[in-house]
Amino acid sequence: MVVDRTPRVGGRLAIVVLGLAALLALLTGFLVTFVFHFPPTLTAQPTTVGNGVAIHLETVAAVQDAIAFPRPTDPHPDWVSYLPTTIFKVPANSVVTISIDQEDGASGLRNPYWSKAQGIIGGSFHMSYFDNTGAPQAGDFSVIDPTTLAHSFGIPDLGVFVPLQGIADAAPAGSHNEITFSFKTGKAGVFRWQCFVPCGAGSIYGNGNAMSTFGYMSGLLVVQ
Amino acid sequence: MNRTDRTHALRLLVAWAVLSVIGVFIAMQVHLPPGDQSTQSVDETSLLDLMLVISTPVFIGVVLFILYSVFAFRQTGAVLEDGPPNHGNLRLQVAWVAITAVIVLFLAVIGINGLSNSAAATTFASSQSTLGTVGSAGTASGHRLQVQVIGQQWWFTYRYPDFGGVESAHLMLPVDTNIEFHVTSTDVLHSFWAYQLGVKADANPGVDNITYVSTVQTGSFEVRCAELCGIWHGHMADPNGQVVSQADFATWIAQVQKDDAGISLPPYSPIYFPHPPVKGS
Repeated sequence: MVVDRTPRVGGRLAIVVLGLAALLALLTGFLVTFVFHFPPTLTAQPTTVGNGVAIHLETVAAVQDAIAFPRPTDPHPDWVSYLPTTIFKVPANSVVTISIDQEDGASGLRNPYWSKAQGIIGGSFHMSYFDNTGAPQAGDFSVIDPTTLAHSFGIPDLGVFVPLQGIADAAPAGSHNEITFSFKTGKAGVFRWQCFVPCGAGSIYGNGNAMSTFGYMSGLLVVQ
Repeated sequence: MNRTDRTHALRLLVAWAVLSVIGVFIAMQVHLPPGDQSTQSVDETSLLDLMLVISTPVFIGVVLFILYSVFAFRQTGAVLEDGPPNHGNLRLQVAWVAITAVIVLFLAVIGINGLSNSAAATTFASSQSTLGTVGSAGTASGHRLQVQVIGQQWWFTYRYPDFGGVESAHLMLPVDTNIEFHVTSTDVLHSFWAYQLGVKADANPGVDNITYVSTVQTGSFEVRCAELCGIWHGHMADPNGQVVSQADFATWIAQVQKDDAGISLPPYSPIYFPHPPVKGS
């Protein structure tokens, strides 16, 4: 009996084409959803005084608890995060004022050195907060107790480091500490910023999940 | 060796000699890392210069021989024929192995000598001290300074145990001083690399990794992390490290002491352990 071993070219070609298509789809998905997936960019709004711009942010214990900037479609609703985004565009050689609604509780710094404000205009930041009795307070600070930090905002290349105090347990529900500070930008460039509190709850050393994923506790300051 | 072979050898020798002189001259104009701000970086740069000067004629010789052979001994006729039998050449093989061995051993001796003669290593090895016991006059008594390098995701900070354990986000060093780096980490593995100082050391949590540098020239240098340590590893770089005069360092460290006065820094420790191991536990 003679067996016909002539290759079925059409069938094999189809398999190759399908395989290549699948690979291409995977590669495209990887590029679109991971490599080229950036948070939206927030352009700072000009202020009425001088060559300044302002940015309003919110820090939350979980994205799903956001008050000012809800992000209902976020894939990690239980992660800690800065909101509404983590890429900010500001002009060069200008004064940037950032105000942050800080709604997360204290978790403390691993390195207490970051509890001191550095690189900001005047050397201090303004904070409206609630004390341990729940009474509203306000004042200018240059350093706070490192055990009371919830987060921090640091731009190492610009020497900017600001501690963010955690909301007191006695504070009214739905309230926040409001921290405001200003710093100067120099020449154009892209600068990394990050939180120096290891606040990635549930991860090893606290530096996982939200701390290690672009768009939550770190981002870019685009100076142009 | 027949007359034709001698002609080829002579041509190669002359071309190699001329090109080697040119090549070595060009090689000597190349600025090689890491720099000249410390005894260690000067030693490393000198060794790299020497290796480049020695390897340049070798490289030129090998490439020249290949190219000359391709053109001089190419097949010109229409018919392909086997070349004449090659029975080897004992003198050539002995010379080849001997010269290679001499070069490699020479470089090995130079390299080992450079390591063992590190002025700072010799100094510190003969007078071990406990971390943080040099005192506030650390730079004045024997021009010696201990600096702790702390890696953390994603920046290095520096503590100066000789000055009360104050901490800074930038590395400032006095010139003409033996620096004793104590490198550690508060979280994951990092690697402290002060490029122009010619020093690199692992920064591991729970480990006090000691390395030495002797500063000899003022100027700025870059500190980088050389161990993949997470999402912002590529940005864990500070171009603002500086070697400054003794007077400038004294002024700077006094300012740091003043700035740090309000910070509740923990007691100085040679090592740190990340705590808690899992956030929220």
